[in-house]
Amino acid sequence: MSAGGRFRFVGVRVGRKDGVLKATGRATYAYDVWLPGMLYGRILKSPYAHAEVRVDATEAERLGAVVLTPRDVPDVLFNPRLVSVEEDTFKDWRVLTEHPRYVGEPVAAVAAASEEAAQRALEAIKLEPVRVYKPLLDPFEATRPGSPAIHERIMRGGAWVNVEDNVACTLEYSEGDVDRALSEADVVVERRFHTNRRYHLQPEPKVAVSRPDPDGGVTVWTTTQTIHNTKILISQVFGIPQSKVRVKKVFLGGGFGSSIHTNLVTLVAVALSRKARRPVKIALTREEDMMHDHVSFEMYLRIRAGARRNGRLSGAEFENVMDVGAHQIQPYPLLGTALGWFVSLYKWRAIRYFGRAVYTNKVPSCALRGYGNPQVTWAVETVVDELAEELGVDPVEFRLKNYVGKGDLFWGQGPTVKSIIRSDGVPELMRRGAELIGWRNRPRPGEQTGRYRRGIGVARGFHTSGAGGPLSGSVIDYSGAFLKVNEDGSVDYVTALQDHGGGTLDAHAKIIAEELCIPLEKVNVVWSDSSTTVYDVCTHASRGVYVGGEAARRAAREVKRKILEYAVRILNVAVGPEALRVRYDEELGDAVIYVEGSDAQTTLSEVARTAWQRNWGSISASVSFRATAAPPSFTAYFVEVEVDTETGRVRPVRVVAGADIGKVINPELAEGQVQGGFVMGWGWAVLEDTPYNPETGALENMGFITDYKAPTAGDIPPIEDFRVIFADTYEPTGPFGAKGIGEAASNPVAAAVANAIYDAIGIRFYELPITPERILRALRERERASGENPPRRRGVA
Amino acid sequence: MTEPRVIRFRLNGEWVQLGVAPNELLINVLRERLHLTGTKYWCGIGECGGCTVLLDGEPVLSCLTLAVDVDGREITTIEGLATGEDDLTPLQRAFIEEGAIQCGFCTPGFILTAQALLRENPNPTEEEIREYVRGNLCRCTGYVNIVRAIKRAASEAAKSRRPGPAAGAASG
Ligand code: FES
Ligand code: FES
Repeated sequence: MSAGGRFRFVGVRVGRKDGVLKATGRATYAYDVWLPGMLYGRILKSPYAHAEVRVDATEAERLGAVVLTPRDVPDVLFNPRLVSVEEDTFKDWRVLTEHPRYVGEPVAAVAAASEEAAQRALEAIKLEPVRVYKPLLDPFEATRPGSPAIHERIMRGGAWVNVEDNVACTLEYSEGDVDRALSEADVVVERRFHTNRRYHLQPEPKVAVSRPDPDGGVTVWTTTQTIHNTKILISQVFGIPQSKVRVKKVFLGGGFGSSIHTNLVTLVAVALSRKARRPVKIALTREEDMMHDHVSFEMYLRIRAGARRNGRLSGAEFENVMDVGAHQIQPYPLLGTALGWFVSLYKWRAIRYFGRAVYTNKVPSCALRGYGNPQVTWAVETVVDELAEELGVDPVEFRLKNYVGKGDLFWGQGPTVKSIIRSDGVPELMRRGAELIGWRNRPRPGEQTGRYRRGIGVARGFHTSGAGGPLSGSVIDYSGAFLKVNEDGSVDYVTALQDHGGGTLDAHAKIIAEELCIPLEKVNVVWSDSSTTVYDVCTHASRGVYVGGEAARRAAREVKRKILEYAVRILNVAVGPEALRVRYDEELGDAVIYVEGSDAQTTLSEVARTAWQRNWGSISASVSFRATAAPPSFTAYFVEVEVDTETGRVRPVRVVAGADIGKVINPELAEGQVQGGFVMGWGWAVLEDTPYNPETGALENMGFITDYKAPTAGDIPPIEDFRVIFADTYEPTGPFGAKGIGEAASNPVAAAVANAIYDAIGIRFYELPITPERILRALRERERASGENPPRRRGVA
Repeated sequence: MTEPRVIRFRLNGEWVQLGVAPNELLINVLRERLHLTGTKYWCGIGECGGCTVLLDGEPVLSCLTLAVDVDGREITTIEGLATGEDDLTPLQRAFIEEGAIQCGFCTPGFILTAQALLRENPNPTEEEIREYVRGNLCRCTGYVNIVRAIKRAASEAAKSRRPGPAAGAASG
């Protein structure tokens, strides 16, 4: 089905369009924005995990700084993430507050001529604690009756709701008779899992520059994955019409989910600049970014799943308690997607789900590459591995027998976003991956004895391509594109979509070039802002290529239709636009428009020039597009690790990373996403965490990257031992057959690594990260318990 | 406040002169005062390599370097290597073509570090490359294509039998 060979640009390797800007240091990120007369802002963060405070800023004002206290900001409750429909949006945030609920919550802010002066003013502000509460750091403690209330009441959409026992929101669901399914199952496995609380460590710390404009509006440059939702939130909080809020698109130094919501710096910068009547820049330091700004959702999962001797799953119970921190960045839809990830991995046949999001006095959690998917996949892929072992069947075959694939109903993004799977490369990826890694000859758990023990693990996963579907659902998901043909036949493509670096906009440019049969250099991607672009929800949910790319393709098609209409006038022989053909002429570097079986032909540049010279008018198209599906991109990873039983250190030895992303539009960039996804997943599996001090409620790691332990170039396997393979599939609903990639790339990594560690040393871990300390402790415990375990029997490969 | 001191140094081939405070960091002078924003801030305390510049050809972290210490010396920032498409160095080209650039925030630091590596060791093994760039963080690429790009630039340089490594690092 794949039309592979016929494409000119799609699927072809070319250096990325913004490569020169980035390689020469000329790309402008929000951190680089400087405006004349600009002041520097600093934010006063709460040192208390939960307190009521009084702010005395007299001294700071005396120093000449512009000071912002909670009384100076609009008294509006909001949720910084605007991806859900209003009635499913929970609001408990304020721009500044005298009732901080986590260490680092913004209480006041200052602006001055230099960062140093601002810092001095900041230090002059007095915070007087009126009441200090005991910090609640554990969700199970937080829900115990009698624990201090973190929020008394919050808003859901436009209505007030009371918060009971610090429960932020809940979701329950069931299908089929689970109790019966489990009682009739031949094997049942029940496990509890606890994930780490990861930090994005996106390269660019959060930053915002806001300039008040003479028309009463503001222009904003900030780290965001969505310029339009940032515009809307600023408008809602400050009561400025959206037409007067201009959010500029700038390069983003990594997002990974940490800027799907509008970062608080943005709102504080807007407030400060409006008060100062001058541009204000607030740039977080790394310490602030890490200690106070954003982390992933920490989850406590319980799975009880059963299978029959015939190798089929029969039912599962799934419980998900999420520690969301002190405010909601929409855990409610995550309760739905967590269920979606769960049910869309395997055909459980009967399920019961209980999801609960709980407030604690910690940094608010937000999406982190996968939106809960890596956490759920790790738990599911561990349980599935164990079930296969109990049944004595090969884990690869067991997965293939039970996974949700082609023709099945799919609702990865939660119960309100459903569609049927039309492309599926899982069997190909599993078989080729198994072959390449040497799955059949892998060691058996516990059979090795030396200091260094190797093991091979497998895990599969998926991510949706966007959050579209045939019904509107509770997730907002549509995109826009504006395309115009210049008077010389080159085109300008205007989109609100952000490219975090994954190559989304390169893919769009290729799609447009392909559709119009023009060279890639003639497609200019315009650096735009929220007032000159059609609405796009956000670059998240791996939707950039699938949804945004399709919007671009539709705009190109529309433009092409108009081009052909004009060409008919020029050629004067064709009966109508349908009679015309278009081909790319490499020598001319142009689209040639011709009539089959005749000499009549013209070029796109000729059409464009003529339309201009004869006053026919511009050729352009504006498209707003909603996808009616969110097809899964599948990934299947085989990982070989080596465990040093003396130090507990784990090292990746070989990786075969398989991805089914439909037609691959940007091969080298897609490969890069897979490699990057693996390494990020590796960090989550064995290195990264953000533990809190139980007494103070502050982060133990004082904002040092070194303590956070992100992977370096020393942590990856040799290049030739890192294989990336793509399945040969074609997604009929995607632009040129494409699906997304960003998140699928990292979702199954932790699971594959954990399964490989089990294969190497015969011990399963139910808590992430699997650090050297945990490994050593587990090895010691096992030794103490029984001497060396006798090697266990396991499924035949 | 302490007295500013006037320093003079060669920046990307041209002499600049300015008054700096004794505690002023090179990264701030470059970014805030000279608006050379290609030098990136990730951490400010020597943990990421994003702010790497070349000081007399040697890679240094500009967030840990006092501006007064570069007085009379030569600094190369990413802006000094090339101005655009047609004068890219082989390393820059390899980074672009090998997919070693995603968000690009680590790219200037990596390219300058790699340039210093190839000057010291024109034919590094993969192991030596990883070891040398260990102090540079990248959160997007997983390093694979970065190592590949550096390898490629090295082998291309070897093929063309150029005397020095890449253009642009020439110290005066
Ligand atoms: S900013 Fe200098 S090493 Fe990170
Ligand atoms: S490309 Fe984003 S940090 Fe390296």
